[in-house]
Amino acid sequence: MRRVSILLFVLSITVVSLYAHHGRGATYDMKKRITLKGTVSRVDWRNPHVVIFMDVKDETGKVVTWGFENAGVSQLAQEGYNRNTLKVGQEITAIVNPAANGATTAIVVKVILADGSEIMSRERGQNPVD
Amino acid sequence: MRTRFSTLIPVLVPVVFLWLGSVASAQGDKEKFKARYEASPSDSNFDRHDLSGIWTQTKLDHSLGTPAPPLTPAGIAAMAGRIVDKPGVTGNAPWYSCNPMGFPRLMNDDEPMEFIMAKDRILQVFQWEHRIRYLWTDGRELPSGENLENLGPAWYGHSVAKWEGNKLVVNTVGLEERAWLDNAGHPKSFHARIEETWERVDSNTLENQLTLYDPEYYSAPYVGSKKIYKRMPPDAIIYFGWSGLFAGISEGICAPMNEVEGYNKGFRDLGAKPKQ
Repeated sequence: MRRVSILLFVLSITVVSLYAHHGRGATYDMKKRITLKGTVSRVDWRNPHVVIFMDVKDETGKVVTWGFENAGVSQLAQEGYNRNTLKVGQEITAIVNPAANGATTAIVVKVILADGSEIMSRERGQNPVD
Repeated sequence: MRTRFSTLIPVLVPVVFLWLGSVASAQGDKEKFKARYEASPSDSNFDRHDLSGIWTQTKLDHSLGTPAPPLTPAGIAAMAGRIVDKPGVTGNAPWYSCNPMGFPRLMNDDEPMEFIMAKDRILQVFQWEHRIRYLWTDGRELPSGENLENLGPAWYGHSVAKWEGNKLVVNTVGLEERAWLDNAGHPKSFHARIEETWERVDSNTLENQLTLYDPEYYSAPYVGSKKIYKRMPPDAIIYFGWSGLFAGISEGICAPMNEVEGYNKGFRDLGAKPKQ
């Protein structure tokens, strides 16, 4: 039993480690990824999480504003990003995990620029969203 | 044993699943941390009693690093109502709404901290919360008895430090009970004492260990694991030409205007509301 307790402890701290400063609960569907293509409409470059808003046309041609959250400013700055990395009006493609309830909010997976380069990638450790 | 283990499978399976799912993103952080400190030049001629510098923990671990001893009935009561954040549940850790993490939780955070050596005290400065902790080395005694009762609780307690050989031994009392010990919501009583040691084992490495003595809430001393801190190289603490722990964007202040109104209510909760 003691071994099982220790195993549970080790696993639990690893899981809990993902939630350092902020709770997210069931906000996002982490098993689902969607692709958003559109233009940056606003950049909230501040703690606790940088949020990028973008205008995306839906299947009917209507413009819908999406927002996706990223790491905090110091973590992104460590990776060489700043509040002018993405500019209003810039065309981007964002791969995100969307909100579980259908809201137009999401958490970043990565951002792809018009030239095909990938930035702010959570997969590559460039965007440690805790 | 097989029967016992079988009964644990429903518990273990989701935990293992969550753990596996977390490894990819946690791994990125670990590698990133390594990049923060591996470029520091070493110096064999260093002063073991000088902890000056900006340091970062080498692992993501917001706990004491070991399983907690069994709680007393009072400890169980103190922990009641604490909801731990996990997939599907948003917890109620005090820092989610910008309350201080308190000691020692802030020390087990993943943002860097700085030691500043002064004549009669050592300052421990934390990037997250933009917080200062005073470790008094002027020979004073810890507050106790009526003095401690009159001083009352403090989020970071009252700390004295002294050198025992090459180890700095710090004792802290008078801690605020509402601050969680760790992300699991473990409690600590106002009458607890925490003893921590710091040792500079080479020019770029500090070792830290912490023990909680709290007979009100725990059936035995809670002995934490050894934690490793590495010195951050200069280029990891320079932002756009400005260096330092609080270089503007890295100040780490939890501002309710940002955290509660801006992020929690203004963004995160939009996706968390039940489907209409």
